[in-house]
Amino acid sequence: MKREFICILCPNSCRITTEYDNNGIKKIEGAQCKKGKEFINNEIENPLRIFTGSVLCEGGDYRLVSVKTTKSILKKYMKQIALKTHQIKLKAPVEIGQVIVPNIMGLDINLVATRRVRKFH
Amino acid sequence: MIKKDVVIIGGGAAGLAAAVSCREKGIEDILIIERESALGGILKQCIHDGFGLIKFQHSYTGPEYAHKYVDQVEKQKIPYFLDSMVIDITNQKVLTVVNKSGLKKYKAKSIILAMGCRERTRGAIGIPGSRPAGIYTAGVAQNLINIHNYMIGKEVVILGSGDIGLIMARRLILEGATVKMVLELLPYGSGLPRNFNQCLFDYDIPLYLNHTVVNIRGDQRVESITMAKVDARGEAIPSTCKDVSCDTLMLSVGLIPENELTKMAGIKLDPLTGGALVDEYGQTTVNGIFACGNVLQVHDIVDNVSLEAEYVACGVEKYLSSFLKPKNDICIELGEGLQYVLPQRMQFLDDTVFSLRVSKPGQKKKLVFKNDKSIIKQKTFLRVNPAEMIRIKLTTQELSGTNGLKVDLES
Amino acid sequence: MRSQDRKFDIIIIGAGVIGCSIARELSRFKVRVAVLEKESDVGWGASCRGSGVIHAGFNNQPGTLMARYCVKGNQSFHKIAEELNIPYKKIGKLVVAKKSNEIPALEKLKKQGKINGVENLKIVGESEIRNMEPNLQGIAALYSPETAITSPFLYTIALAENSLQNSVQFFLNTQVKKITKNNKSQFYLLAHDNQFEASYIINCTGVCSDQIAGMAGIPHYRIYPCRGEYYVLDKNAASLMNHLIYPVPHPKEGGLGIHLTPTVDGNILIGPSNEYIEKQEDYAVTMEVLRKLCLEAQQFLPAISPKYFIKNYAGIRSKQTPPSQGGYHDYIIEESPEVPNMINLIGIESPGLTAAQPIAEKVVSIIDKKEKLVHNQDFDPYRKGILRFAEQDEETQRRLIQEDSDYGEVICRCEQITKKEILQAMDNPLGARSLISIKYRARAMMGRCQGGYCLTRIMELLREKYNYKWDDFLLRGAESYMLTGNRSNGESDL
Repeated sequence: MKREFICILCPNSCRITTEYDNNGIKKIEGAQCKKGKEFINNEIENPLRIFTGSVLCEGGDYRLVSVKTTKSILKKYMKQIALKTHQIKLKAPVEIGQVIVPNIMGLDINLVATRRVRKFH
Repeated sequence: MIKKDVVIIGGGAAGLAAAVSCREKGIEDILIIERESALGGILKQCIHDGFGLIKFQHSYTGPEYAHKYVDQVEKQKIPYFLDSMVIDITNQKVLTVVNKSGLKKYKAKSIILAMGCRERTRGAIGIPGSRPAGIYTAGVAQNLINIHNYMIGKEVVILGSGDIGLIMARRLILEGATVKMVLELLPYGSGLPRNFNQCLFDYDIPLYLNHTVVNIRGDQRVESITMAKVDARGEAIPSTCKDVSCDTLMLSVGLIPENELTKMAGIKLDPLTGGALVDEYGQTTVNGIFACGNVLQVHDIVDNVSLEAEYVACGVEKYLSSFLKPKNDICIELGEGLQYVLPQRMQFLDDTVFSLRVSKPGQKKKLVFKNDKSIIKQKTFLRVNPAEMIRIKLTTQELSGTNGLKVDLES
Repeated sequence: MRSQDRKFDIIIIGAGVIGCSIARELSRFKVRVAVLEKESDVGWGASCRGSGVIHAGFNNQPGTLMARYCVKGNQSFHKIAEELNIPYKKIGKLVVAKKSNEIPALEKLKKQGKINGVENLKIVGESEIRNMEPNLQGIAALYSPETAITSPFLYTIALAENSLQNSVQFFLNTQVKKITKNNKSQFYLLAHDNQFEASYIINCTGVCSDQIAGMAGIPHYRIYPCRGEYYVLDKNAASLMNHLIYPVPHPKEGGLGIHLTPTVDGNILIGPSNEYIEKQEDYAVTMEVLRKLCLEAQQFLPAISPKYFIKNYAGIRSKQTPPSQGGYHDYIIEESPEVPNMINLIGIESPGLTAAQPIAEKVVSIIDKKEKLVHNQDFDPYRKGILRFAEQDEETQRRLIQEDSDYGEVICRCEQITKKEILQAMDNPLGARSLISIKYRARAMMGRCQGGYCLTRIMELLREKYNYKWDDFLLRGAESYMLTGNRSNGESDL
């Protein structure tokens, strides 16, 4: 099978064409770095994405803390994790990098805060 | 009147980077004036990642990227006002600032314009139909969802394939809404290619190129829109009209640099960029007033905003130490295949980073810089795209002796 | 609400500029007056959708009520504007001839104006036009210095607020569904689950006036809705013109032709267009008309370009003449013989805004003849509007912020509207708190970014001050929900 992918890892947005079959990838063309090659390996079998979203926070100068997964997770989990963020309510203060949900989806990946929220006066 | 060496209007990505850079160069007397209740500008609501890949070789979210600079501003004790609006500015660099403490006037030696941009609205593009609730520009939708915890709709049609629209398409889906389609007027997408991948294709959201919205229906709330294919001139083809039921129309139809203050100061604008006419240091047609960030040209990557702001800080430093005496006045001639080029004029023939955008997507193109005698630089690109700004540096050596400069995109 | 609370001497149906003018005039007397309005705010029919012009009166046929009331309304408007604290600018109008065969029409208008009592009309030539309007193309024009502009929505709101001050009661979101009479000649009006009672009804329902008359048993009025679409141009276009600019009117058309109107806030309006429509209240704008408006405007002012456009909207005229006829039919302001004590105002189209005050005085005189109304010694004609920070000089701005720091927070960047003004708009005496109601009162969201910056801030203020939940945010009508829910509640959604 032949397929063209757009790599999402950096602004170069390399157009990478691959040829593969059930035995694996035969050819990769167009990647400008090895991260790109890695990306393609995953894209075919287990597409990975970074999840970003937000969770409620009480008592702070922001109503929502923006969050992200520390590493990319399987694309198919994105909606599940989004649902999970709806169930969380934090209390200010929150620091950038603070772990909100450790080992999300039972993986070695945390959901961390990406915004600092100070206590509201 | 209070005197200041540098006043920076806007504490978003551009203003913050300019401030930090100015301080790094030893400028003490800086003031950032920010209209919102916190620094960071639009980055505060851009909770997705992809920021910082060039500058920091890391993928940050908007708030994290902003925090890097806000942290520096705090650490370096760079003064800033929040909830403060500049309501007037003169070509003598006198600013009138309004906030809860009163109305104050500042006489600045130099000003950095960093006011960012606003979104193009339904009214500006004249979409026919009724005016119900449920019509939002993508930035407003983003603010309502990411800052205020509201949902703006359940069944959304998006007009415009700019980055904000694509990012919001994904956000809406993850937050439980249905995104029925993205319609794009042009024959090609307006956003970054990787955003089409991770925001539309990932979620099976159909993209219709060469399409637009020709009617909105609904008395109280949006009930449906009419989509139509457009011809080569962008005119809707009546036989292709099709109704799509939805409760929300989200618009991502372009950003406009917010230059009302710029005009007040008598600064000349470039109709091609929507921003000020500048020299290689980002200095406008009023000496000592500089511009950087989205107010100068609409950017697609925040890293470039920071780099542009750092360059402007160089100019400000030179200006304040009186080392910015113009030696030339060369207008850059815009050749074929390009929407615009910045700067529009050269005064110093120092190292210059040129920013430009191509007019149409293309493959295997060559960017050529010519002076009146010969080609001084050229670069080939495998792929060019209006959505992706090209930045290219020409050195003092390459520019020396130039009397006129022309930029072309050749095949 | 107790049934006594719904019993009035006079009930006005329709809180447009006509209904509110009548309410105010009646409040000069000792009568219990109520105004029933089906929308969530006053003026949302034709009143807030017109060009806001206070016409001089040369366009109207001599001897008609239109002519008489227009001239009278124009000549006394400065007084009302002062009492109600609303904008009023006498900028004058040019009716422009582009071809020499249009000049006789100008002469005719001038003559007609003179008969009607309009002052200072003058025909000017090409060079004088150039002096007055450097960007305008025309060979001759009728210059009417007495033509003025106001803000049609602030006028209507001010009339309502002054009426409230003088004890008139307003019932918003109250649509009359049924009108009956008992054997004592008392009217019963059914609106939702509320029954109102009154000795007199005044029907000022504009495009619905034939329907309301029909409800009371008067079948012979007929309104033909005729829609007019508009462009609103950025304030940056204001330098293109100084006066109202109109083409020579053509008698067959049901309007004045597409014209260019500066607004009191510094925008320019292009329009209205002219189109008889089927549906009574279809305020949509259409592709065909928008295109036509743009082209026709450019015929007068070639400098007009789409880069100035910030909004489109539409209004609907209550015409009494059918499409085949066009033209005008004089105002009907009468107590019909079939239903005594019900005064019907039919076909109050342009110059309705200008004529509102004289019309109200006429209606009061009809009632006074029958009832011998007693003056209300406590009547106060003065009403204070919201002070516009952006229009004050620097000294005043400084002082205002010192006195109230809410003046120091600019919320609407494009129009420089402060938090104080927005809070005042929210806290209005009518209790109208949809986003559009706040917009009309404070002017926020009317600038070039159309709320891009200030909308979310205004919503936050509503949440802070009135504890708004997601379903309290309405754009305009009672079902115009801005949001579909909270993003999350911090609990399981399952």
